[in-house]
Amino acid sequence: MGYKKKNRHVGIVGVGETKFSSHREDVNQAEMIHEAVRQALDDANLTMDDVDCVVHGNMELFEMIHQPDLWHTLGSGAYGKDAFRLTTGGTTGGTLACAGDNLAASGMYDVVMAIGFEKLQEGHTTGGITNMADPLWARKLQSGALTDSAAVKLIEEFGAERARRAAMTYRIIMDKHACLNPNSHRAFGLDWDQMDDLMENSPPLIGDLRLIHMCSQSDGACVVIYASEEKAKQITDTPVWVRDHITVHREETLDLCNNYYPTDTTHRFAAEKLYERNGITNPLEYFDVFEMYDPSAWWGTDWLKEFFLLEDDDHLKLVENKEIMIDGKMPINPSGGVIAANPIGATALVRVAEAAKQIRGNAGPHQIQKPVNHALASAFGGTMWTVLTMLEKELNW
Amino acid sequence: MSTQSPDSFVIDGKLALPYQYFAGRTGSRFLTSIRDEKKIKGLKCEKCNKVFVPPRQTCERCFEDISENWVELENAGTVTGFTIIRYEEPHQPFKPPYILAQIKLDGADTSLTHIVKGVALSQMKTGIRVQAKFAKNSTSTIMDIDHFRPIKPKFELGYSYDELEIGMSASFTKTITESDVYQFAGISGDFNPMHLNEEFAKMTPFGTRIAHGALPQSLIAPVLGMKLPGLGTVIPEITVRFRKPTYFGDTVTATAEVVEFIEARRWVKLELTWTNQRDELVAEGHAIAIPPTPMG
Repeated sequence: MGYKKKNRHVGIVGVGETKFSSHREDVNQAEMIHEAVRQALDDANLTMDDVDCVVHGNMELFEMIHQPDLWHTLGSGAYGKDAFRLTTGGTTGGTLACAGDNLAASGMYDVVMAIGFEKLQEGHTTGGITNMADPLWARKLQSGALTDSAAVKLIEEFGAERARRAAMTYRIIMDKHACLNPNSHRAFGLDWDQMDDLMENSPPLIGDLRLIHMCSQSDGACVVIYASEEKAKQITDTPVWVRDHITVHREETLDLCNNYYPTDTTHRFAAEKLYERNGITNPLEYFDVFEMYDPSAWWGTDWLKEFFLLEDDDHLKLVENKEIMIDGKMPINPSGGVIAANPIGATALVRVAEAAKQIRGNAGPHQIQKPVNHALASAFGGTMWTVLTMLEKELNW
Repeated sequence: MSTQSPDSFVIDGKLALPYQYFAGRTGSRFLTSIRDEKKIKGLKCEKCNKVFVPPRQTCERCFEDISENWVELENAGTVTGFTIIRYEEPHQPFKPPYILAQIKLDGADTSLTHIVKGVALSQMKTGIRVQAKFAKNSTSTIMDIDHFRPIKPKFELGYSYDELEIGMSASFTKTITESDVYQFAGISGDFNPMHLNEEFAKMTPFGTRIAHGALPQSLIAPVLGMKLPGLGTVIPEITVRFRKPTYFGDTVTATAEVVEFIEARRWVKLELTWTNQRDELVAEGHAIAIPPTPMG
């Protein structure tokens, strides 16, 4: 690992999120981005003149447009500034967060604005994703972005009844959180008495993955402003410090000799390394909130085990005992998570923005009532990308 | 798979790229005013004193929200740059060649890209004035402006002083008939028997009837007035020296050639020659011409 300690500390000083929804006909792409940019600038009490560098990210080809960062300048404010574009698939938002942190930590820029956006309604995601597959071996065989691999795994391990019930419990908890978050795209008002009906009657997609389990296709943008320690302290009384982040990626098709998940998942590998180098022995105790990139309720349920380095059925118990609820022992996605809104290029940055707001204590109706000092945010993308970001209230490590 | 090479497959693929694009309220208002009012509007940043077309919600300079500061623009503007598309692609709006230009509308600070028609490709240049022509049927896109065309004067004019060059020439040819001579006699009142009475004419040095000298001479009028300099020209002076008679049935060519600029007055001098079908010089002379100046 080429990991080195950061050159200087970096804090999050401003966040902005649009309302997420299925359609935003009222604004074009640049205008939608601008809503989040304006919000983040207002949140940080900065003007665009204070920003040194703009990092822009979305999914390659999802809006079927080329070099969107260039003509989004009208909304992003990148005119005359140093600017970069990132497109690392579903992890784009996570990579944006890494870039914002790294660019500010490097000393090259004092204030860096990271912008993630997606307008999925305008494009054709399958068309975009299809371009990822190897034209020779895989393009004619793939099914798109959906998989029930996590369902297969959980059902094999814990039996269909318990696994299905756990996944649906996870789903209903996420909806209850989504109902608290005014930015949610989908907030149905699901309740526990609907469990059996949903498990039986929600339209099946692949295997045990049903429509209700799956994330949406959303329009929206998210902006996070990063500043060097010195600047961050000048800008705000409540900077949220970026302690560390880690990226792990594995191309699964290069390892076909093993079965699926051949060794550790990238999630577990990333979590182990991150905790190890930051001296965290019990992540479940350490963190006060986890904003997880959970594309489906099955994945969300399964991945708890990976991110918290759990054994046996501890992750299922967390879900079954509703410890992942906003007022539980380990609140997961008080925002409602990715199932509530998935503007893909923004999604992982929203996790970081939401985690930062929880630490600041001004998340709004979905603010965790207990003090939040340590937050974790994850990003996920194909084929197996993991980005983890650790945020802290105090600069004391 | 195709096998252009015996041992290496090439996979032929084709991916569709379907998409929608949400114009947003600002873009939609711009399109609506073109569609419904045939008016092109821009958004003005008061702070930077700039008018943007196509419109944008924020000023690109100062980042202020300008989305309500609509200003109405002229539907005419000046070409600030252009290119001629000569290669053919399926996505093009028409079959090439066609002109794609940057047009700065009067009252705007930015240029709008659009098609220019109604000007010869070889004559297209930066700086020409063009006017929007709206589409007959709306598609609620930027193609509701069908294209731009050069703004032409109300009447066509001949060459201006600045357009004339030394050596430019033009001519007019006509066969002079008995009928022409009779009509000219009526027009001028010159019923001299040498033009009208064959028996009388036999006794003259020419031995037969000849045309009035002013008749072939007048053939220079269509040259100067309609060709060179052309429509709108005023001729304050013509001098002629007659060299040969014109017999009935002769075909006379009147030619004018620019030979000198009279810079002080922005007039030109033209050399004039009249020849017949036997290549004889019928007459020669010169004219002073006041070339047309743009009207209105």
